[in-house]
Amino acid sequence: MTELRLEAIGKSYRRKRVLDDVSHAFAPGLTLLTGPSGAGKSTLLRLIATAEKPSSGRMYWDGAPLPAARGALRSSLGYAPQAVELPEDLTAREFAMHIAALKGLDLAAADRQFGAITERIGLHADINNRISTFSGGMRRRLVFAQAMLGEPRLLALDEPTAELDRETAEKLGALILERAATAAVIMTTHLADHLAPDAAAVLRVEDGRMEAA
Amino acid sequence: MSAAAVVRSSLATSLARYSRSWGLWLLLLVAPVAARLWIPGENDKTVVIAVNGSAPIMTSAMLGVDLGVVISTLLLPVAFIYLRSNATRRQPWQVEETTAAPRAAIALGRFAADVAVLGGVLVAMTVAGWFIAWLVTPLASINLGDVTLALWLIAAPALMGVAAVRILFDALRFTRGALGEFLFFVLWMVAIIAPVSGSEKNDSFAGNIVDFAGFVRPLSYSLPEGQRGSFAIGAAPVEHGRIALDVKAGLLSDGYVASRFAWAGISVLIAAFAGLVYMPHRPRKERRAGRLSRLLAPGAPTPADLSAPPAGPARAAFPMLAWAEARLIGRGPLWLAMAAAIAVGGAFVEYRHVTSAAALLLLIFGLTAHAGRTEQKGLAGLASTLTLPPMARRAAFVLAGLGWMLAMSLPAIARGGAEPLLLALALGAGTPLLTTLLAAWTRSAFAPRLVLLILWYGYLSAA
Repeated sequence: MTELRLEAIGKSYRRKRVLDDVSHAFAPGLTLLTGPSGAGKSTLLRLIATAEKPSSGRMYWDGAPLPAARGALRSSLGYAPQAVELPEDLTAREFAMHIAALKGLDLAAADRQFGAITERIGLHADINNRISTFSGGMRRRLVFAQAMLGEPRLLALDEPTAELDRETAEKLGALILERAATAAVIMTTHLADHLAPDAAAVLRVEDGRMEAA
Repeated sequence: MSAAAVVRSSLATSLARYSRSWGLWLLLLVAPVAARLWIPGENDKTVVIAVNGSAPIMTSAMLGVDLGVVISTLLLPVAFIYLRSNATRRQPWQVEETTAAPRAAIALGRFAADVAVLGGVLVAMTVAGWFIAWLVTPLASINLGDVTLALWLIAAPALMGVAAVRILFDALRFTRGALGEFLFFVLWMVAIIAPVSGSEKNDSFAGNIVDFAGFVRPLSYSLPEGQRGSFAIGAAPVEHGRIALDVKAGLLSDGYVASRFAWAGISVLIAAFAGLVYMPHRPRKERRAGRLSRLLAPGAPTPADLSAPPAGPARAAFPMLAWAEARLIGRGPLWLAMAAAIAVGGAFVEYRHVTSAAALLLLIFGLTAHAGRTEQKGLAGLASTLTLPPMARRAAFVLAGLGWMLAMSLPAIARGGAEPLLLALALGAGTPLLTTLLAAWTRSAFAPRLVLLILWYGYLSAA
């Protein structure tokens, strides 16, 4: 079974310890990471998404240790960072196809899938518009949509519903829960999320440590 | 807040940001080291400045002129790139534009900071010049004052001018992007070429004020009339040994010093003017699309197929990536129409100076725009977590650039054979490679764009 395992993961920036001795096994299903701002949730998600390397501890993907298994993890990953500098002069569709190409996906199929995802999250009418014309919520949905492209078995979502109204957040939630049936979905949220009742686990990150909420 | 306080605050904030940028320290270190390379040795066959095919005999004043000329001509684009891409590239305009602070005061404060930074580079060059004087001129004739006077008279106003242009281009909506880099390139070319054409004019303030780069009078003053435009700057061959030039007399000739101070004053005025004509940023949502934009817009998307399955892996991921890169380099119907026109034109006109130059210019704009957007820090961070590594994308980018160059050259190759083919291969591979290197280094589009435009001009004007 697909599994991401963290063993005593720690992360420091210069002398500041941001994460300390974090261990957990993520199986298919939704895992919510909660905790106050600055607790280390986004840092943990960046480590999981291989955007950064841990200072200590080990990570395993499908039983194989990283960094040897990094390529395998990345080919199964969908990552929606909290803040990403989007290319303002591209249309949403062009941006998504750029990401699809970097994911090694069939572009025609990715285009159809992008259409379906954006339709469900209320962004489809704008996919041929430049990103520079997008509001904060539209940008958030676009970053979410690119993470969903392909069939990720590991989905790392950093506050995907922030800046969204309740109705749109629920649309994203429905897609997230669908994906969580077969993929390990790890999602940060600093508020009590409406997805909590459906989550396989809710973990609290505070002062760099993680425990069941 | 008074205007003076705004100037002080803008200056202090910008200087603080500069001082935390590693680029500044790199510039301060590299400039003096590079300076040594510009000063020729006794037996060098190629020199940076040659007059009538002769290398000037090195005196303290000539050394200062040498360093000054190199800064005020060859290094001005570097200074512009540094200012546009450095720590103060991004400003909190969303907040600033809603404050009551006078824009002219903000512009002057930032201009002063830019001038201070470039002045720092000039100080480093001056110290390096003193050291080089000790190496290349006889001990008895070393005059540190001459080195300093010549260097500062030539280079300081030119650098102030670059700082002023930077402030002006940042203030105007249409020069904040690629057009700004292109206009600077044009201004720089004019600044170098225009004064040479007036080198035979009499010594006067009016005769000198056209010489923004400030190199004509010192070099031409002691030459006989009719030969005053016979100097070369760049990689000039030494064909007739050495020549003695009284450059100090040129520096102190009628109207020269006044013209240099005038350029410094004009620069301050341009910076203040930039504040007065400052155009607030406009959210793109509010911009009305022009007729051409509406015509070229992709239109409404086709209806979504909600039953579309998740996309599977491509059969050939790398060729697919190269194809995707090619589409984003040659983006939009206008670019494609121009590429098609160049390709068709290649069947009828000369390749080396017309078709290849036009194709290269179009390619430079496509390549730099795409490299800039993909190498920006945030997006590059996301891309690094995806299946294909960043180096694969860069390789695909180079391949796509080569593909575009070959496509635009195809009719010319069919007509001309091996020569256009080899040229297209060299330009098509080299240009995207250099673009991706510079964009990855600077994380932006404008440094590669400006460098490539300069190289393009060199390519166009070379025999």
